[in-house]
Amino acid sequence: MIKITNLEKFYRTEEVETIALNKLSMHVNTGEFVAIMGPSGCGKSTLLNILGMLDDPDEGSYVFNEIEVAHFNERKRADLRKHNIGFVFQSFNLIDELTVFENVELPLIYTGVPTAERVKRVEEVLDKMQIMHRRNHYPQQLSGGQQQRVAIARAVVNKPKLILADEPTGNLDSSNGNDVMELLTDLNEQGTTIIMVTHSEHDARYSHRIIRLLDGQTVMENIMV
Amino acid sequence: MFKNHFKTAWRNLLNSKFYSSINIIGLTIGLAVGILILLWVQDELNYDRFNKNTAQLYKVNSSIGSGISKQVWGGAPAPVATYAIKEVPGIINATRIVTAYDYSVFKYQDKLLKEDYGKLSYIDDSFFKMFSYKLLKGNVNNPFPNDQSVIITESTAKRFFGNADPIGKILLGDSKNPVVVSGLLEDFPANSSINADMLFSMNVKKKQYDGKGYWKAMDEAWGNYYAQTFLQVKTGVSAKSIGEKLTQIHFKHQAGIKPTDGVFQLQPLADIHLYNPDGSSAGIQTVKIFSIVAILILLIACINYINLSTARAMMRSKEVSIRKIIGAGRKQLFMQFIIETIFCFVLALLLAFGIIKLLMPVYNILAGKQMYFDLLNINVWQVIGLTVLATLIASSIYPALLLSSFKPINALKGKLSMGAGNTTFRKVLVVCQFAFSIGLIISTLIINKQLNYIQQIKLGYDKSYVFSLQMHKMQDHYESIKAELLNQPEITGVTSGDESIVSSGSTTSDTDWDGKDPQMSFLIHPYGVDKDFLTMFKIKLVDGVNFSGEKSDSTHWILNETAVRLAGIKNPVGKRFKFHGSYGRIIGVVKDFHLASLKQAIEPAIFTYSSNSWQIFVKTNGKTATAAIGAVQKQWKQYNADFPFEYKFLDESYNELYKSEQNTATLFNVFACIAVFISCLGLFGLATYTAQIRFKEIGIRKVLGASVINITAMLSKDFLTLVLISIVIASPIAWFAMHKWLMDYVYRIEINWWVLAVAGFGAVLIAFLTISFQAIKAALSNPVKSLRSE
Repeated sequence: MIKITNLEKFYRTEEVETIALNKLSMHVNTGEFVAIMGPSGCGKSTLLNILGMLDDPDEGSYVFNEIEVAHFNERKRADLRKHNIGFVFQSFNLIDELTVFENVELPLIYTGVPTAERVKRVEEVLDKMQIMHRRNHYPQQLSGGQQQRVAIARAVVNKPKLILADEPTGNLDSSNGNDVMELLTDLNEQGTTIIMVTHSEHDARYSHRIIRLLDGQTVMENIMV
Repeated sequence: MFKNHFKTAWRNLLNSKFYSSINIIGLTIGLAVGILILLWVQDELNYDRFNKNTAQLYKVNSSIGSGISKQVWGGAPAPVATYAIKEVPGIINATRIVTAYDYSVFKYQDKLLKEDYGKLSYIDDSFFKMFSYKLLKGNVNNPFPNDQSVIITESTAKRFFGNADPIGKILLGDSKNPVVVSGLLEDFPANSSINADMLFSMNVKKKQYDGKGYWKAMDEAWGNYYAQTFLQVKTGVSAKSIGEKLTQIHFKHQAGIKPTDGVFQLQPLADIHLYNPDGSSAGIQTVKIFSIVAILILLIACINYINLSTARAMMRSKEVSIRKIIGAGRKQLFMQFIIETIFCFVLALLLAFGIIKLLMPVYNILAGKQMYFDLLNINVWQVIGLTVLATLIASSIYPALLLSSFKPINALKGKLSMGAGNTTFRKVLVVCQFAFSIGLIISTLIINKQLNYIQQIKLGYDKSYVFSLQMHKMQDHYESIKAELLNQPEITGVTSGDESIVSSGSTTSDTDWDGKDPQMSFLIHPYGVDKDFLTMFKIKLVDGVNFSGEKSDSTHWILNETAVRLAGIKNPVGKRFKFHGSYGRIIGVVKDFHLASLKQAIEPAIFTYSSNSWQIFVKTNGKTATAAIGAVQKQWKQYNADFPFEYKFLDESYNELYKSEQNTATLFNVFACIAVFISCLGLFGLATYTAQIRFKEIGIRKVLGASVINITAMLSKDFLTLVLISIVIASPIAWFAMHKWLMDYVYRIEINWWVLAVAGFGAVLIAFLTISFQAIKAALSNPVKSLRSE
């Protein structure tokens, strides 16, 4: 599904150039659950942003579903993104002005799904995430665990092929964190490819494979059994 | 999709009540005031355009004389209309309007009602065919069945007859001459330049020429420029060529006329409200100024909106990013923000409608108009549509572009690419906004100063506590009445004269003197006065003597300095001077005084002796005015029981000369205040916002030892710099614009540097007060709070 080769990304300020990704190559197969680990500043988030087409690489190739996307413009990237990728963040990133239902509905609005179909799909996914009873609440009225469920519901409602999760349990206690990891595992078992950045060895154990980064390069890959 | 946009817009509005209210209040006031001003402008521009034939209708103006004594009159000799129809191809129709001075009161049964001067007119029968004034009752083809016929307006009919049918009713003009109502006319619209209460047949005027006077018949009176003449011209025919043809006809019919004596010019009917006959501004200047003010106020409101929404964009960056990440396209986000703006506008507009509805009566009084804010009226919607559309476009596009352009990943991390470009742009907008406001403040100060100057200028005569009234039958007993009145302790002077000293209405070219250049045309204002006129009005004699009241005074003239100067008479006292066909001697010269509005230079004037005339002036003093009026009223009752008692203080008449300027000034004051208020509202919002985003910085500075004053100064400095730049930009522009405005006045103030300084200082002070509230609040906050919030 994903094949990146010699990917490079620099951050420049007036005097300093920082290399975030240094000729990084990797691949992810369809249906895989991959964890990316490494110390702060190793380039995990940069990699995830590029994989999610939120950012573009400076050098190298990124093939997504057999399409070279490294030099797509913003509009094309956005188009590809909204049909294929769901995001889950550490800080949930729900829109405070929208209710649970509306937050989850939003991706469907942007992909132009008709109203009746939208209601059906949102209800389905809320049910699956067990937050149906909170559908008319606003994010600030929910607990962290509940907020992350909503965020995951929102990420999957469009049935994306790939979910990118950036420390999905980072703001949660261990019990809620485990729930979230179970949810992701379920999704993976149903066929969704998942790439997750994490600091937690515990969380990483849910994955099939761990890619460890240091200074913008892959230093080790562990296959989980 | 739209539902989602509206929902977000509404919740955003509620969630940030402070910014939303500042935004909506600013927009509401801006829209309300903008629409009010533009309604006024529209009303001014639409004068007389209700006539179906407006495009074909022209007024004949007469340009008389040349060089410095050139004058353009709004009237023409009566024969012009007659010959225009007969001899000029391309003329469809012509009508004349001549003010009738025959009557001043009408009696119906027991009712005695006064008709103001100028409200009675003679008209030609074609009047109703050319103009769109509606004859509700009566015959358009034969409006005046006979010479006693009169057509009255609805409101006049109501005054005389209540709700009874006026047709056939008989009124007694000046209580003796019967006239019969033959037609009922819908009231003249408020935006009609032509206006009257009662209309009589031109035939009556024609018959007043009995063949014995200087002019034998109305259609031969080529030297009397008294008929307002309107022509209906075939579409496509040049107005200029018609004017030239009329001038030719004049030369052909009046002997001794030379080209320098004058030409006829056609002025479109649609122009007569806003342009004087000579083409100078009669209001178009004000229309332009007000249009600019409206645009400035709307711009200020737009800038507020843009500034606050772009400033707040930072706070919404997270929302925008999330929307982008989960699939929103730029177009969709752009639409979302446009819809939010529309949402604000709709709310503001509804509030503005309420304000306009409430203010309309007061506004009409201030503006001296009768405008209606009727949402069913298409004209009103023209104004609203234009205003709202323009402001909406101006205020929505930039913020929408900016907000939808965020790079999602940066925005989410709080590393917004809202660098120098955006802040600079916002600063430029603040500078513009304050430059507009400061410009308006400067203009207001100068306009007020000029109007005060006019009020206080030494006119060269003393009009204080003098009231005037028409004498009617008292004129025959003038001497004894005068003696009687002067016996009253509260009356300090009595005199009589045939002209208003405040504003002379007539001139004549019928003069001659030894050594006069035959090519020169010399217009002079005549005053027929009694021997006490100059003394009572304290008009100074600089040479010679005053009238003595002797019989010999009938051939004595007194000139003003300008007349002597322009005529070029050396040592004038004792010299021969011919006036109205008879030779006399100049016995005195008076110091120049202002005989008309200060917009005009002092013109030549001549005083002739007339032991009594139609008008009496009575001087009293502040404390005893009531008693003086009572004394005059007693005399009035004795002689003029048939007429209602009416008098007018000269100060009032004088103020009427500047009424439109006073109205303009009052409106201008109000508008300038509003502009400043809206600007400050925006500044207040921005200051609040700045204090918010610099919350942490303020905390750190305080921990490091900054005092409240340091921090207040730091926060205020940036804004005050912008205001200072605005002053530098606005001052020369306002100075230039006001200099041009003052050019309209022959007697005008100099623009002092301190006016600019006062305006600038005022702006800085207001801006500082606005900002300092937020700045001090931020400076006083507990630093621990701001550092903890990270």
